[in-house]
Amino acid sequence: MLIGVKKLWRTKIQALILERAPVCDEITLRQRNIFILPSRNGLLFLLSAGLIFVAAINYAVSLAFGLAFMMISIFIVAVLHTFNNLNGLVISALPTKPVFQGDEVGFNLQLSRGALRTYESLQLDFPAFATSLERGSAVSTVDLLHRDRDQAQVFWTASRRGVLTAPVLRIQTYFPLGIVRAWTFVRLNMHCLVYPRPTKVVMDKIGAGARECEESADFRVGNQEYYGIREYVEGDSMHRVAWKAVARGQGMKVKQFVDYQDNQTWLDWDLFYGFGVEERLSRLCYCVLELSKRDDPFGLKIPGLEVQPGQGLEHRNRLLKALAMFGGEQG
Amino acid sequence: MIIEHNSQIPRHALYWILAAVILVILPQMMRMPLWISFIAILCVTWRFCISWGWVSYPSRLTRNVVVVFTLIVSASQIRALGIGLDSAASLLALGFVFKLIEMHQKRDIYVMLSLCFIMSMVAFLYDQSVLSTLYVSTVLLVAVGALVAVNRSPFEQRAASTAKLAVLIAAQALPLAVILFAVFPRIAPLWAVPLQNNVSSTGVSDEMSPGDIAQLGRSGDLAFRVQFSSHLPPLHENLYWRGLVLDDFDGTTWSRTRASSSYGSATQLQNFQYNWENRVLAEGEPLQYNVIMEATQQPWIFGLHLAQPIENNLYQSRNFEIFNNGIITQRISYDLLSFQTNKTDLFLLDSQRSRNTSLPDTGNPESREFARQLRASVDSDLDYVYQVLAHFQQNPFFYTLNPRTLDQDRVDNFLFSTREGFCEHYASSFAFLMRAAGIPSRVVVGYQGAEYNPFEDYLMVYQYNAHAWNEVWLEGEGWVRFDPTAAVSPERIRLGPEAALRDDPAFMEEALFSSMRFGGFGGVMNSLRLRFDAIEYEWNRRVVNYDQDTQFELFEQLFGEVTEQKVISLLVFLGGLAIVIIALLIVGVGGSSRRNPLESLYLRIAEELDKAGLGRLSGEGPHNYRDRVSAQRPELGELMATVTSAYVRQSYEVDASALARQRQDIKQMRMALNQLRFKLSNLSRFMPRN
Repeated sequence: MLIGVKKLWRTKIQALILERAPVCDEITLRQRNIFILPSRNGLLFLLSAGLIFVAAINYAVSLAFGLAFMMISIFIVAVLHTFNNLNGLVISALPTKPVFQGDEVGFNLQLSRGALRTYESLQLDFPAFATSLERGSAVSTVDLLHRDRDQAQVFWTASRRGVLTAPVLRIQTYFPLGIVRAWTFVRLNMHCLVYPRPTKVVMDKIGAGARECEESADFRVGNQEYYGIREYVEGDSMHRVAWKAVARGQGMKVKQFVDYQDNQTWLDWDLFYGFGVEERLSRLCYCVLELSKRDDPFGLKIPGLEVQPGQGLEHRNRLLKALAMFGGEQG
Repeated sequence: MIIEHNSQIPRHALYWILAAVILVILPQMMRMPLWISFIAILCVTWRFCISWGWVSYPSRLTRNVVVVFTLIVSASQIRALGIGLDSAASLLALGFVFKLIEMHQKRDIYVMLSLCFIMSMVAFLYDQSVLSTLYVSTVLLVAVGALVAVNRSPFEQRAASTAKLAVLIAAQALPLAVILFAVFPRIAPLWAVPLQNNVSSTGVSDEMSPGDIAQLGRSGDLAFRVQFSSHLPPLHENLYWRGLVLDDFDGTTWSRTRASSSYGSATQLQNFQYNWENRVLAEGEPLQYNVIMEATQQPWIFGLHLAQPIENNLYQSRNFEIFNNGIITQRISYDLLSFQTNKTDLFLLDSQRSRNTSLPDTGNPESREFARQLRASVDSDLDYVYQVLAHFQQNPFFYTLNPRTLDQDRVDNFLFSTREGFCEHYASSFAFLMRAAGIPSRVVVGYQGAEYNPFEDYLMVYQYNAHAWNEVWLEGEGWVRFDPTAAVSPERIRLGPEAALRDDPAFMEEALFSSMRFGGFGGVMNSLRLRFDAIEYEWNRRVVNYDQDTQFELFEQLFGEVTEQKVISLLVFLGGLAIVIIALLIVGVGGSSRRNPLESLYLRIAEELDKAGLGRLSGEGPHNYRDRVSAQRPELGELMATVTSAYVRQSYEVDASALARQRQDIKQMRMALNQLRFKLSNLSRFMPRN
């Protein structure tokens, strides 16, 4: 029966509570949103108080009554203290750095307190039942003792590309006695941009002036002018092999083309012709990361979007974001 | 911020738990068999070694061995001690220390600490004195401290701050606990469980051999305390706390004839029902008093003759002894009425007469001859009694705790050769001489005298007050009390054994810390001792003996007629009030004492500057504020730089070096505040006010 109740609690009631919690940037914890119940250890504590009480009745030992009552009083005081260890706490969302798909997202938040208050041993996590996943996040513990505010990071795995909305955050505390648990659910306006997972591709044909020809239908990407030949590297397209040179016995050479029109590199959707959408995005992501390490400007062409060649961190992030958001708000 | 992965026990918390465990086990060790104490010490040592990484946790095999071992021990314990408090407490202690060595998760801590509370309750089953209560309170505080230590931040581990929080929680819990204690309805025991322990019985027993009572004279332990409710207590020489009547003599030992008044079972209670009016002639206003008696492990209680119990669970035997319904294993309190002017058994049954005149067939010929001659020389039994008393008075008899040992014809030996003895020698030989002359007589054992405690106006009776005297049946008078010891040592009766035995080295020799041995009479120590005893007495009267009846009386005094509704509404009201007040204290003010001193100093500096028109704007960062003030008042630039860097370091930088500098920063800040006040006051003096 207990399991049944627990299941009901987990599914129905908590879902109800979670739905009620509004999404916000900052929230101050008050009676309305703090839940409080005895912990399992607290039940053990109450059980022993009950045992002492029964013994006090049976043996008519006055001070055993006193002991049992003292334990019950301590429990009540613990309820108040534990409640107070959340009450008045201000939680606000901080910007979160974008991550690559599959990495851990550290959602940043700020906890702050009034001048007269201290908070100790606050546990923050994304509980499993609030998401569809089996396991919740690791628990981060924060104190607000000597400082008015502190930052906390709660980690979550970015399993999908796009915009990751933070799951429902749980803040709970057992402080000071561990016999009472106070907790709250917060739906903070925390988002994280998840870039596609970079997949390594051979880069020396891209961006160094060399042109890919691959199996693509058209070679719009700077491939008009013949530039020269270089040594064959495994993975080069067979179309570009300088067969004449091979015939002359000079070994495997590859023709190189340069776009003299504008000395700019384009990353094209069709560079990775034949791959699936996500695989293309992953490869493009890798290319963006690699190219942005160099000085040359480069642009991006993906279906529905064309970003003119540019340089710098901002440009890089713009491109990565475009890749992350590809296919609409599917994140 | 830290990421938590394990539920291991933090080191500092472990020390708190071990402290609680040791404190709980210590008093129990005095009562347990020695080998269990040994195992307890072993387990605690083992746990310390685990925490230092010297040894590991017990393996599965070890644990199984321990379980089997405990089962065997339980069986043997129950065989040796019987199912009772002692065996249960020992086993609980054993399980407790075994749990200690396999405690390696946070969850185990709570099991451990719950056991700590239960063991504290066991301590109360043995002893509810003030000292024991203080001790258990300490255990409670340490256990709460352990709970705090387990749950608090790893960055806040100072024992002092943990202790402070534990004391705060306990202090906040105390008022509610007191209210619950006073108001919560006491429930009658659900099922009767006689508390049995193997503590040996103390006090006066139902047998008296030479040396028995002298043994009690060596003890300075308290026997009972008495408070008279309306009248003044009788004079010291009339304070005969009558216990048992010993009417069977075998030549050495006086003992109680059990058949005449069995005790201890309810079915035999019928046997003691007798017609009080036909046997008793009592006159005058009875004395009413309350006795709080220490545990004796015996069923009988003591009172002034002729006592009439006014409580349900006391009953009286044929010989007007009073018994508790069951062995007294804890301090008990009872009320008695005593008729000081009384006559009992004006008509003596033949069976009674023959029992109270019987002597062994042989032995002590000299005494028998002495009695016969003396009785023949006087007219009445009463004259004979006086002659015998005079014999004790006029011959060189000595009252001492260390008489020479007697052999064979003990009464002869005592009366005519050694002539030194304690009260039992006098009572025994007196009764012998009476019976030898055919006069019904018996020995009564109990206590004589008391010490008056002026602080709470009550009497304290010690084990060294133990005494034996006689009752002689006289025609037309019934049983009359005579005390041959009074003839030998009048000061024993008038002033007490303290006066009579002042120079006797054996007196209270077992009382190690008796202040009487150090301070003597009238000293500061003595006054202190009485004061402590007065506290103990009040504690017993008001707290330990607070039961259904006292609760009822208290309510009646305060609120008139007591109804169930009233009690419940009072409980709800007072309990609710206490909770609301505590809640306001905790939630409302919320630890104002822990306000960051640096923060308040910074705010005060800003306040000072505000007076000079340089207040901090809302939302202005500390660096911006510094720059603005420095720009307007360059002379304050250096000061502001110091203050701001200290404030920022302590408020925003999360590292150990900032914490280490905290004290220094506060000092700097305080100096800066003083400087600022000085500068600003100078400034305002020279600047025209606008």
